[in-house]
Amino acid sequence: MSVPRDLFKDQFMTDTPPAPTDPFAPDALNAAEGLDPVDPAYSHVVRIATALNLIPLAIGASVADWLVMPRIDGPYGLVTTAAWLFALLAIVMLPARRVSRWGYKIGEGQLRVARGWLFRTDTIVPFVRVQHIDVGQGPVERLFGLSHLVVHTSGTHNSMVTLPGLRSDLAAAMRETIRRHIQTDFA
Amino acid sequence: MSEAVAVSPDLGGAQWQRLHPATLALALVKLGPRSLQFLPAVAALGFTGNWVWIVPAILAYLLIALAAACLQWMRFRFIVGDDEVVIESGVLSRQHRTIPFDRIQDVSIEQGLVSRALGIAKVGFETGAGGKENDAHLDAIGLDAAQALRTTIRAHRSAPVAAASVAAEAPAPAPVAEDRLLFAMGPRRLLVAGLFNFSLAALAVVGAGMQFFDDLLPFDFNVFDPRDWIDVAADYGLDQWVLAHRWIAGLGAAISLLFIGFASGIATMVFANWGFRLTREPRALRRTRGLTTRTDVAVPVKRVQAAIVVTGWLRKRFGWHELRLQSLASDGEKEKDHQVVPFGRLGEIDPVLGEVAIRRPDDAQAWQHSHRIVALGPIIGATAATIGGGIALYLGNDVGWLGIVAAPLVALIALWAARYHRWADVGDLVAIRRGWWKPKMTLLPHASVQSVDLKTDFILRPFGLATLVFGVPGGSSLASHEIPAIPLGVAQDLRSRILAAGLRQ
Repeated sequence: MSVPRDLFKDQFMTDTPPAPTDPFAPDALNAAEGLDPVDPAYSHVVRIATALNLIPLAIGASVADWLVMPRIDGPYGLVTTAAWLFALLAIVMLPARRVSRWGYKIGEGQLRVARGWLFRTDTIVPFVRVQHIDVGQGPVERLFGLSHLVVHTSGTHNSMVTLPGLRSDLAAAMRETIRRHIQTDFA
Repeated sequence: MSEAVAVSPDLGGAQWQRLHPATLALALVKLGPRSLQFLPAVAALGFTGNWVWIVPAILAYLLIALAAACLQWMRFRFIVGDDEVVIESGVLSRQHRTIPFDRIQDVSIEQGLVSRALGIAKVGFETGAGGKENDAHLDAIGLDAAQALRTTIRAHRSAPVAAASVAAEAPAPAPVAEDRLLFAMGPRRLLVAGLFNFSLAALAVVGAGMQFFDDLLPFDFNVFDPRDWIDVAADYGLDQWVLAHRWIAGLGAAISLLFIGFASGIATMVFANWGFRLTREPRALRRTRGLTTRTDVAVPVKRVQAAIVVTGWLRKRFGWHELRLQSLASDGEKEKDHQVVPFGRLGEIDPVLGEVAIRRPDDAQAWQHSHRIVALGPIIGATAATIGGGIALYLGNDVGWLGIVAAPLVALIALWAARYHRWADVGDLVAIRRGWWKPKMTLLPHASVQSVDLKTDFILRPFGLATLVFGVPGGSSLASHEIPAIPLGVAQDLRSRILAAGLRQ
């Protein structure tokens, strides 16, 4: 744990020379913090989920544009173009970046899950604090043979810690690892 | 009631019991507010000229409601077995619920005004399952039956675990014969507490009500509109006097405001905390309080997750503080944390903290500070207010001055308050302090921490800072415990130390 921490510190402390890695390169963050990346196929899951969310919105924006702009003599087509450009960007470009920001490490009696870049959260849950574990699989995840692991703690904050993008056999193996450590300390 | 008492001690021959018959009377009382729904029907009858039908209609309504309450009462039964409570309820859809004593974390007893007159009480079972709908209750049974039931469940819970917990529960050896009084509030203390509880909230409620009912009131007069007062004064030739003595008039207004503020503060304090008693039972802290609605709540010592000492900038000068304990169960519907010392000296709070094995850092404690960047949010807000004010002035609206004057003040206060974000790692607990206007100190034992978040974002990262957020059972989901903006390396060290403490357990 101590080696990756020092690397991370060096990278962002202002008074030390910057580490040679490009902080914006995919998987640079995870490597620097000693985390394992999630399965790259998860980016397809994110992409499909984003598409299912954004395409209806873009269609709605187009229809609104078509209905409203001619009446008020506005610039017809501007909103439609912007909406579809944004949707295209979010569907094609962003999922791979977002997925590369997810990282996890299991071992030393604890599960570590990190996510995000602009707002990065790095969560550690000791196995002994886990109340129960779910392994879930949505229809899109099933297409790619992926599952997500959900760890429940009794804390009000972080009562659920979700780790998506795991190959199904790996998720099951992680569940077994954690289950062996769970103790019921409810007396 | 007599049958309930007769059955409770004899658990071997457990048999089905019903709620106290007086519950039906309570149901009738509860009908009062609900019969408002009936008003439109009465009005309709009146408008159509069918006056003769009004009384029979009301009677029929009451009869149906009473019959429904009777039916519910008849279909509700419970049984207290050797190690579980079984509750059957429901008229059309039946519900059968089994609650093992092992899963009952605490039994609460609550009495409203009518319940006290009838000698009955509502019994709630805290099962620790999230959400209100999961908590079962008996509404209502005789008070002595309720207390007997609680004793039964507590006795069961302490019996098998006591042997194991003696070693762990160092501060209080298990066999404590007498319940010790830890803290009580007399009328004098309540009065002082009420004075510090100064609040104009009641005034705001009345004011909002006046605004709301303005159109409905038969007279055209708003207490909070000075012009109305001037009109009244003019009617009596007082306007000349008021204009001549406006200082006296202003003083009178200020004094009446102060009076309302103090009176409502004292009233809320007295109603909530009359006869406050905090006692130490073998396994729990027990609190009874309330003037009209008396509550009797026990906080099991082993379930206490964190202690929170709150005060105000003024009451701190006089040495008054409030102690709350964060437990797995929540304290009623509004309050999440259990208020165990509403208003007391630190000297009175420390022994209570001792009972839950938490030690308050002394005055010599060295504190570490959060980075001043925590004031960034309010400062951005203040900047926005300044810009908004400037635009308003540019457009010729004098209100803009308000933004321009208030913004630097807000920014200054935020910067000043940022100095009060402090923390210290004291052996087996973390102490977190924040706030200048309402100073708050959270004492969080390492062993209570279930998970730790280390957060950075695009603002904190260039400064090499991180925020630690702790997952702790109980409390409000809105106010999580966190140490904002501390150096990344320090945060990582603290995180490892706290998690290591959890693993040792």
